[in-house]
Amino acid sequence: MKLKTDAKNVSYLVIIILILAFLVAVPFISKPYTVILLKNILMFVALTLSWALFSGPTGYISLATAAFYGAGIYTAAYLGDVLPLPVMVLCGGVASFLLALIIGAITLRLRGIYFAIFTLSSVELIKHVLHWIEITVLGKRGRPVVKVSDSTVFYVILIIVVLLLVTTYFLKRSRYGMAMSSIGSCEEAAAHIGVNVVRVKVFTFALSSFFIGLTGAIMATGLIYIDSQIAFDLNYSFFPTLMATFGGLGNIFGPVIGAVLFSYLREILITKFPYVYMLIFGLVMILTILYLPNGIIGLAQTIKVKFLGGKDATATGRKVN
Amino acid sequence: MISFINIFVNGLLLGGIYAITAVGLSMQYGVARILNIAHGEFIMVGAFLTWMLHTSLGINPLFCLALVGPILFLLGYLVRHYLFKTLRERTPSPAAFEGNSMLMAFGLLFVIQSLAIFIWGKSIVGYSFMPYSVYLGEIRFAANRLVIMVAAVAICFLFYLFLTRTRTGKAIRAASQDSDAAALMGVDINRMLTLCFALGALMAGFAGVLVSMDVKLNATMGMEYTIIAIIVIVLGGLGSIPGSLVGGFLLGIFGSIVSGIEPGLTLAAYYLLFMVLLLVKPSGIFGR
Amino acid sequence: MTKKAFLLLTLILCLSVALIVAGCAEKDGEEVVEEKEEIVIGAARSYTGPLAIQDVSCFGPVYRMWIDEVNERGGIYVEEYGKRLPVRLLKYDDTSDMNTMTNLLKKLIVEDEVDFLLAPISTAFLKAAAQICNEHNFLLIGAEGGAKELEPLMAEMPYFFSLLNYATQQAGPLVDMLAEHNIESAAIIYIEDQHGLEYKNDLVPLLEDAGIEVVFDKAIPMGVKDVSSIIEEAKSKNAKALLCCAYPDENFAVMDECIASDYNPDVILFGPGACFEVFYQIYGENSEGVMGWGAWNEKSSDKLKDLAERLIAHQGGERNMDWWGMAIYYAGLEALEQAIEKAGTLDHEKIKDILATEKFDTVVGELWFENGGVPAECYPGQVGQWQNGIFEVVAPNDKATNDPLIPKPKWQAKSE
Repeated sequence: MKLKTDAKNVSYLVIIILILAFLVAVPFISKPYTVILLKNILMFVALTLSWALFSGPTGYISLATAAFYGAGIYTAAYLGDVLPLPVMVLCGGVASFLLALIIGAITLRLRGIYFAIFTLSSVELIKHVLHWIEITVLGKRGRPVVKVSDSTVFYVILIIVVLLLVTTYFLKRSRYGMAMSSIGSCEEAAAHIGVNVVRVKVFTFALSSFFIGLTGAIMATGLIYIDSQIAFDLNYSFFPTLMATFGGLGNIFGPVIGAVLFSYLREILITKFPYVYMLIFGLVMILTILYLPNGIIGLAQTIKVKFLGGKDATATGRKVN
Repeated sequence: MISFINIFVNGLLLGGIYAITAVGLSMQYGVARILNIAHGEFIMVGAFLTWMLHTSLGINPLFCLALVGPILFLLGYLVRHYLFKTLRERTPSPAAFEGNSMLMAFGLLFVIQSLAIFIWGKSIVGYSFMPYSVYLGEIRFAANRLVIMVAAVAICFLFYLFLTRTRTGKAIRAASQDSDAAALMGVDINRMLTLCFALGALMAGFAGVLVSMDVKLNATMGMEYTIIAIIVIVLGGLGSIPGSLVGGFLLGIFGSIVSGIEPGLTLAAYYLLFMVLLLVKPSGIFGR
Repeated sequence: MTKKAFLLLTLILCLSVALIVAGCAEKDGEEVVEEKEEIVIGAARSYTGPLAIQDVSCFGPVYRMWIDEVNERGGIYVEEYGKRLPVRLLKYDDTSDMNTMTNLLKKLIVEDEVDFLLAPISTAFLKAAAQICNEHNFLLIGAEGGAKELEPLMAEMPYFFSLLNYATQQAGPLVDMLAEHNIESAAIIYIEDQHGLEYKNDLVPLLEDAGIEVVFDKAIPMGVKDVSSIIEEAKSKNAKALLCCAYPDENFAVMDECIASDYNPDVILFGPGACFEVFYQIYGENSEGVMGWGAWNEKSSDKLKDLAERLIAHQGGERNMDWWGMAIYYAGLEALEQAIEKAGTLDHEKIKDILATEKFDTVVGELWFENGGVPAECYPGQVGQWQNGIFEVVAPNDKATNDPLIPKPKWQAKSE
């Protein structure tokens, strides 16, 4: 058994490294827009993975992604001129981390849908307050952001994605990961068996936001000019949630596959069918939730069980709530 | 003093709109457990239908209540019957259903909004309805908002009577309180939930008719009303009709006071009030 | 178990490879063609989302008609190729999202290698687009979105030209007109956004210099529902002019409140919103005497009369008109066309030089650019006023199509 698991892990690792090596080479071998497209897809992968890091195992649907993403963007806009790029990106992450600590700490008592709508409102609250401050106190809306080349952005996001994959992998296998899953299945029971529910929840929430902040900070450099409406766009709260659901939360590849497919679909729709983008997007969302409640991964496993008769597929049912 | 009374009155009038916006969502979430993010889109559809009926056929917007309501009821019935019912059957736990139904409602939002754009286009439309004021002593009431408020309160009152006095209404309430026990007593839970969702859509239709008397319409207006509705039902307590009414009025008055002090922060104050309330008393003022 | 892993990961691998290959291969086949058959105009505009409304009511009808008209003439003559080239529009939907817009703009420039670009919607997007285009030495002529904050970009970036008039050109003529008609006091309501700030900051000193008392200037937030307290204040302070520098939604809310509270200042002016034909369609008789920024109409000149008729006919007879921007947007497209024909090439560096230095014969008369912007005298008008269903130009005097109606007639409140 041990041997088998190792073999499986090694083959995973080899394929992941192959894909990564390929991605690293992309800016040298492909057309400029391919880099931009992949940068965009990787951004959604990063956001979705970060979202799934917390919301996957615990079952709390966080809709504050746009708030953390926006915090990263604003940090970049303010510090981009004075700090070197890596430090600036890190600051974006830290800003989001701190914001998430605050939001996490005050939402401790909220469950289920209440947590979702609270986090959703936090995005709007920050957006409006920031806008008000910009207009009435600073007397000027928005800010320019320092510009970085697309391939640099691409590499930074690639690094963020790799960090996320590693973090997700090890977190899942750590005591924290176990604690998170136990919170997901039954919070009272988790508290009862000695899990420090508060610490686990808030820390993971903040950790996932840290990565969202990093992504926001580096993506901001491609925006050139930002204001509160642009930075705190609710779509960035909904997309990661949908992409993760689309891909399936059963294992680490679900969110990745979901984000890749979803963002590629989006790209095709907005370039080939500009007017029907929303309609098709909405239909895909409805059909996914209706017919693929466990996402693409769930579908893949159902197929596998049917054709290959694997035993391990039962362990990967969807873990929301 | 008079200006303070005016602020209060304005808040009250605005509250009428807020209340009617929220009642439908309160039903849908309070009983059917669907946080219908697309609620505002139903309102938008109702508003556009009213505009169409009023400008092309010259029908008085108030009569539109009787025409638009049933259309939205049917729409709500179909949506619940073909989408959410199936989803509920496929979802293992009620908690997972809440999350998934919200995501599905988000998809619905996209679909309804883009269909509305295909039908009615993207530009602003609207009409003027009773654009004058009536005075009670020195206190001023905008006539259209007064009509809206009276109609909203009347609708809420009738709806409340329906829920408390009729057999079907009692069955709905039973289903919302303890669905297992209600099922044992011979209530067809699934039918009740579908009816409930459709009634929520009916209320959204009424809200749309009333809203169109006050503001100009465009196809992307829905989200704003969904957010207001969510705030109001959290304020008033889920599934409670009087709660929605009181919550709507409170929010209206609160907003009016804030906009009297610092108009720029009105929306921010809404969210702040809402978030604080969620933390302090998540079950709402009338919550169980 | 390894089977499962491979199954899954081969899937991912295949997908990503397919993606890259698709990305690389798409254009390879076509590049052999050296003979130019058409001019491709790229557009990364908001066809969905909150900004989409502007594509319908502002620049959208104009560029769609222009493309049809150009193709009816057989295209634009380009000397380099010795023939007329028809125009084709390649449009992408930026979903009103900045990140998507910047990416799609780069896609249009570097991958699709379009010949020209249409501007994206809104001043904020224009700011980002101007920089991207200038970096790629790509021409960009602005459309929806004119603002003081664009001035530095217009001046510094040789490839960026802005069309729409804004506070700097509009505030002066308005204040002159108010002073001429002995308006003693004004109240300013402005939207909490860059747009509102710019207008307020320009109007306040000009009004004070002209001896017009500014009784208050108040900000309203976007999406405001209840503006009664502000109108109440304006009423109690008896402001003779109400200048509301907001966006359509808020302008409509203020307008409704003014009618409902029977507040009849001598002059009432709204920002974007009042200049749309839909304003007249909604308010009917109550629109009489209401002013708005703009402006042009069928009476401005024969050419503009013709343009209005063509635009209405092109939209199937629907009077979906923007009496502020449409004329100047069309003039901008004409200038581009003439610049291409003069340059005899599609080379952006040459076309930009011609745009920057020469004068063009357009629907608004002679049009030229100074520091990347259009000088005030080129515009067909700065302030408009609804009179008998026509958005008359009332300021500046030399462009006026009718005398301003001051004081404005009282609201026809009880008509319904």
